[in-house]
Amino acid sequence: MTIPLTAYLLVSAALFAIGVYTVVAQRSAVMILMGIELLLNAAGLNVIAFWRFVQPDDYSGQIFLIMLVTVGAVEMAVGLAIMLLLYRQRKDVQVDSYTELKG
Amino acid sequence: MNVEQTAVLVAFGLCAFLALAGALGMATTMSMFRSGIFLMASFIGVGGLFILLAADLMGLLQIMMYIGGMLVMILFMVLFMHDPGGSMMAGMPDMMSPIERFFSRGLQPEPEPEPDEKADDDTGSSLKEDAGHDAMNRDEMDHADKAAGHGSHGGMDHAHMDHGSTSCGDMDKMGDMGGMDMDMSMVTPVRPVAAWGAAAIGIGLFALLLLRPDWPVAGQHPNPDSARAVGMMLMHKYMIAFEGAGFLILLGIFGAVFLARTNQHAEAPGRALPVARREDPPPAESGPAPGHEEGKWS
Amino acid sequence: MGIAGKTLLVTLALLAGAWVSGRIERVLMRGEPGAMHQAGTAAVHLGRRDRWLYPIGPAVALAAVLLGAVVMPFGPALVGEDLQIGVFYFIVVIDFAVLGIALSGWGANTGHAVEACYRAVAQLVAYVVPLGMAVVGTIMMAKSLSTTRIVEAQQGVWFIVLQPLGFALYLVTGLMQCYRAPFLEPFADSVVGGVLGVSTGPEALIWRLALSGLLLLVAAMGAVLFLGGWSGPWLPAPLWMALKTLGLMILMLAGGRMVRPLSVARMLGLSWKVLIPLGLANVLLVGGLILLKIGPTG
Repeated sequence: MTIPLTAYLLVSAALFAIGVYTVVAQRSAVMILMGIELLLNAAGLNVIAFWRFVQPDDYSGQIFLIMLVTVGAVEMAVGLAIMLLLYRQRKDVQVDSYTELKG
Repeated sequence: MNVEQTAVLVAFGLCAFLALAGALGMATTMSMFRSGIFLMASFIGVGGLFILLAADLMGLLQIMMYIGGMLVMILFMVLFMHDPGGSMMAGMPDMMSPIERFFSRGLQPEPEPEPDEKADDDTGSSLKEDAGHDAMNRDEMDHADKAAGHGSHGGMDHAHMDHGSTSCGDMDKMGDMGGMDMDMSMVTPVRPVAAWGAAAIGIGLFALLLLRPDWPVAGQHPNPDSARAVGMMLMHKYMIAFEGAGFLILLGIFGAVFLARTNQHAEAPGRALPVARREDPPPAESGPAPGHEEGKWS
Repeated sequence: MGIAGKTLLVTLALLAGAWVSGRIERVLMRGEPGAMHQAGTAAVHLGRRDRWLYPIGPAVALAAVLLGAVVMPFGPALVGEDLQIGVFYFIVVIDFAVLGIALSGWGANTGHAVEACYRAVAQLVAYVVPLGMAVVGTIMMAKSLSTTRIVEAQQGVWFIVLQPLGFALYLVTGLMQCYRAPFLEPFADSVVGGVLGVSTGPEALIWRLALSGLLLLVAAMGAVLFLGGWSGPWLPAPLWMALKTLGLMILMLAGGRMVRPLSVARMLGLSWKVLIPLGLANVLLVGGLILLKIGPTG
């Protein structure tokens, strides 16, 4: 066991921070979706790391990751469909041209 | 330290580097295509970390899902975005932060700064116009004199037409963007705030992780053939969750198909064309046709 | 035989097989318009290529083929690495070829190559789900994801007898996967050969090698999954494997020639309206057979 658990968690934390930056700073909806994927992935890395180091004989961690990937895929599909709709209406998917959607 | 440990260490370093550099590149590059490829690299790195963590099946699942997913996402980006290749921003490196410059230009260090340009002709002229416009905008910010500004804006519009007609085809939206350089960037003006916030989150998480006492780590090594165990679990203990995931996918497919259908919301201006085309159906032509046929047959 | 020996063996087998598949294809496709690998006379725009993405493409595609060949069993002990999740690994790794086409097509920076990139990605969306469903049937019967186990499960009766529907599905999706006759849209003449039309020199060689290897691997995996792999009387095991692979390759190429080439949009329609329902039916049928205790025991 050469790589400690904390190393994986640090990688995951850095991925999470980059994902937060992407979600906040990017202006096109596709890029925001990609940032959300990155956040989900950081969570998945945490899940697998804890599974491996804390309870490797119970495979529930892997099941959780399967669910996570499924939710990510569905989110991406529906997000892209919404984006298609927005593009048809407004010819633009930059999120700051949809500010009237708020309240 | 024997050979195997060294190999594991090197593999961890490579995968972690791929994951982090890919994520950073995704967040900062100006080329959308490249951003998707970077995110794919990041996910492949995370998949490698999964394999290092003895979850082979999960690593391969991750890679499979995200190769296809990211390629489709890139397809959508290229269809929807003004400037998927990042060629406009590549012409004005002064507007980027150093790390953005590294990920958008460090990868294409040739002096010709628009290698992602998709226009078929006169790359050079539009490039020059970009540079000229940029210089003008920097020197005399908003109070540019009309004459110089007009010529440059004309050139700008032409450049936009080139990008638009070849990348996504919405020139009407971009034609009036001459004065707003920030709008071509992929990031919002809150970028510094976001960067500081993300850095704070990262530092906070790092500090928490490093200051916290270690978790109780179990010593045993998991069975490398985890596919059978995972499958058994999925079909026994987590049956409900598995079926729920299947149902979620079904709902996702339905939702995506219904959202993306073209024959709804006929009042939307974007749909005027298909609706108008549907309103003159062929019965006017097919009406006399049977009679003609009958006449011929009788 | 260490790792180096295995690597050399796999590479040599792959090279020889790619050469043979190229010869067969040339014999079958002689003088036909629209035949693959004939383009290359289009004007190649040098100098506007992406310096990084463009050369990576063929390397990624060749790496996909080489990595996929690792789990291919040529005989009882003649397998590069008998992974526990070999078939899944194969499906995942082969997808890298699409990534290579996308990278190179975008990086080549000509309109035709970029369109070939789009078409390849759309074709990936079309084939990947029914391909998985065709493979799932054999996995269910063999109760293992390992390629050697699947071959050993067919000692009594080949899976083509038990799952003819799955075999037909595999043929169609396999043709889509290796971009052969009815499904050669990403390399069609209308885009002057796609990435093949813009690549020259060593890159063109690597592309041809990778595409021939793709055909070889898909045919060999079909032989493993449905035709009993290396098993057979009288002749030595690798010879049986080679014969079955060649037969399947000829069947695929010749059968594909009988059908008019499909556009990507019709491919997607075929996939979602015909192939995926058939794949679900195949999985149901195989489940019924297993419940009736027909098929390999144990």
